[in-house]
Amino acid sequence: MPRGWRLIGAAAIVIAWTCAAKADTISYADAVTVLAKDCGADIKKLCKGLNLGNNRIADCLAQNAGKVSPTCTSTLASVAASIQKREQAQASYSKVCAGDMARRCNGVKGDGYILACLIKTTKHVGAQCNQAISDAGWR
Amino acid sequence: MRMRKTALAVFVATLAIPALAPAQQISEQRIINGLGKLQGAAPIVDVELLRQEAMNGSGKQMSGLPNWSKVARLPQMVVEIAFANDSVAIEPESYRTLGMIADALHHPNLWAYKFLVVGHTSSTGSDEHNLDLSQQRAEAIKEILSTTFAVDASRLYAVGVGEYFPIEGSKSEAANNRRVQLYNLGVFTKQP
Repeated sequence: MPRGWRLIGAAAIVIAWTCAAKADTISYADAVTVLAKDCGADIKKLCKGLNLGNNRIADCLAQNAGKVSPTCTSTLASVAASIQKREQAQASYSKVCAGDMARRCNGVKGDGYILACLIKTTKHVGAQCNQAISDAGWR
Repeated sequence: MRMRKTALAVFVATLAIPALAPAQQISEQRIINGLGKLQGAAPIVDVELLRQEAMNGSGKQMSGLPNWSKVARLPQMVVEIAFANDSVAIEPESYRTLGMIADALHHPNLWAYKFLVVGHTSSTGSDEHNLDLSQQRAEAIKEILSTTFAVDASRLYAVGVGEYFPIEGSKSEAANNRRVQLYNLGVFTKQP
């Protein structure tokens, strides 16, 4: 294969892979940024003085469902779902990647260094573990 | 070439004074880097003593107080959180910052550590009121991180210092009012 094509092919794989990984889960920061954007006006109007903690904002918006904008209502549901998805991905990482850690990063100490080792050896790490790391948002 | 030089200068400046960088530059990565640089074991810090010291230490520098001086040596990060005036409620504009802190605390580089959230207020209002308000603000952040963002509550400590410890580089009333500090308190050992 000519070198140019090979490069384009490689780039296409990287782009496809990045997109696939991104579509799966989003960060807490991105999730609540959407919430602030789509529900910010409703929160300021209907939930003055309340905080995100202990579900207070979500409860307040639910109690005022009739007055909340339709965009905010649908955003609220998807934000809750994506936060949950990210949580699950992070919780599954240690188990899903246990085998790869033992095979590829044996002797590496510290969770941060083990993760760095798995990311460095991505090509040799199993698909499930790679997916778990992407879904956890740690790339 | 000149542009590259400027970029390099900015980069070097950022490295030199991480704590004073404007809040809009914060990212999950910067929080992870800023809080992760713990050299050796962290000292044992008693949050109740910190509170007492803050109350009695009006006008003194943090570094002159026995317990706060230990905290001052720990890796720290200043973030700006917009609270409604004289309230614990956080404006939606600052949700992203809270989410970034949560993302960072869930990262394997930081998940073994416990953290101190220090709340501040402006100097408007009485000392006692400000101390209460800053305590409630620090606790509100702890609550958000530990409920909405599922950070283990026993990894988080909250203390309010009112207007007592102004930090250089954020002199305006508005900036002080928004300031929240995070400190890495060292390795977290789960209670049996």
